[in-house]
Amino acid sequence: MSPNLDLSAQPALAKRVRLQSDPVSGDPVLLYPEGLLILNETAHAIVRRCNGLATIVDILGQLADEYGAEVDELRPDVLECLHDLHQRQLVTF
Amino acid sequence: MLFRPYALLTELTYRCPLHCPYCSNPVSSSAGNELCASEWCRVIREAAALGVLQLGFSGGEPLLRSDLTDLIIEARGAGLYTNLITSGVGLDERRARELREAGLDSVQLSFQAEEAGLADAIAGARAHGRKIQAANACRTAGLPLSINTVLHRANIDRLSAIIEFAESLHAERLELANVQYYGWGFLNRRSLLPTREQVQRAYEIGVAARERLRGRMEVFYVLPDYYEQRPKPCLHGWGRRYLAVNPVGDVLPCPTASAIPGLHFDNVRNRSLAWIWSNSDSFNRFRGTEWMPEPCRSCPERERDFGGCRCQAALFTGDAANTDPVCTLSPHRPLIDAELEEVRTTSVHAPGLNWRYRENPVHR
Repeated sequence: MSPNLDLSAQPALAKRVRLQSDPVSGDPVLLYPEGLLILNETAHAIVRRCNGLATIVDILGQLADEYGAEVDELRPDVLECLHDLHQRQLVTF
Repeated sequence: MLFRPYALLTELTYRCPLHCPYCSNPVSSSAGNELCASEWCRVIREAAALGVLQLGFSGGEPLLRSDLTDLIIEARGAGLYTNLITSGVGLDERRARELREAGLDSVQLSFQAEEAGLADAIAGARAHGRKIQAANACRTAGLPLSINTVLHRANIDRLSAIIEFAESLHAERLELANVQYYGWGFLNRRSLLPTREQVQRAYEIGVAARERLRGRMEVFYVLPDYYEQRPKPCLHGWGRRYLAVNPVGDVLPCPTASAIPGLHFDNVRNRSLAWIWSNSDSFNRFRGTEWMPEPCRSCPERERDFGGCRCQAALFTGDAANTDPVCTLSPHRPLIDAELEEVRTTSVHAPGLNWRYRENPVHR
């Protein structure tokens, strides 16, 4: 079951968090004072769009366009990912 | 390369305007001979080339280095995430703006308590008011702010007020870490260690605040490991992910490792960081699991906690290769239990009466 998030929320990276690529592996990575999180491709596609302006609905639409998939198909994974990042307080709504 | 360092802690100086009795800096250190800016810049570039992604500026008080801005610029140029760990003394609006413009990513500001009288008594310096100014300067400059408060017997019962205070300063994050007993903290452990009941109450307050403030301020609570049954996975294992460079350029697998008898540390003035990481005796001594004695050697948890903390083993047993005595499987656990018993049976818990304040490095 996917987490219950407000789809009109506008996710943004927390102020202390920076997204960049790891020069060693090329992997996208979130950096923050107490640690780092290496992102897989899906998480990266989501995090890149967390700009505080796009809503979760917008992000789902953009991902559906980019990957040629149905929004319904993508929704559970995207919500799960955003929920997880929010729990870690790396993304704010 | 089997292991890769992700984080580098640079201890720019051991000088500090504060004299906190729980400081983990070495109890005895010499003044002077600090690395200069160009040496630090080389260390930063070498660290980035080794794979380091995060750089902490610490001390002592790193703001005492007037070249801090140049080091931040160097680090950001090398793609590193930069974090300043500071008392806040000397962080006015102009300096905060300068650091932000240089690319500083985050500030961790210490507070000793939520009110000036007690806070200044713990710091051994009149600093609380200046810290509040520093917090405001960070906000004005747009620097993300974490507040770090070290908990011990003299302030742990005021945790609710401390949390409210951090909220009032609009911190993004609050780290409530019980004292880690190294350096001056180890010396003062019997004046600092809270009782089990104090720790339990504080833990409950910390957990409740974490839930209540989720999304506004991250609350992170670190228990005092003496009350645990298993040791902490110190730095995720010796020489696996982390390295520290002290003010004179010694490269350490852990900032308190200089307390380990018989360990020789290589210096960035004589060797490259890459050589030290891969080849130095100090980094290789406790890497992996081969060095482990029993009960670690055959323990199913050895890849989870890595046998705990080498420094703690050295402080209590005199031999860093022993199992961390916090572990209840360690034959040395009675040494920790004796500390807890000492705290339990001490009836008077008046703060600060008999601790020894941290002193600055001396010229020899």
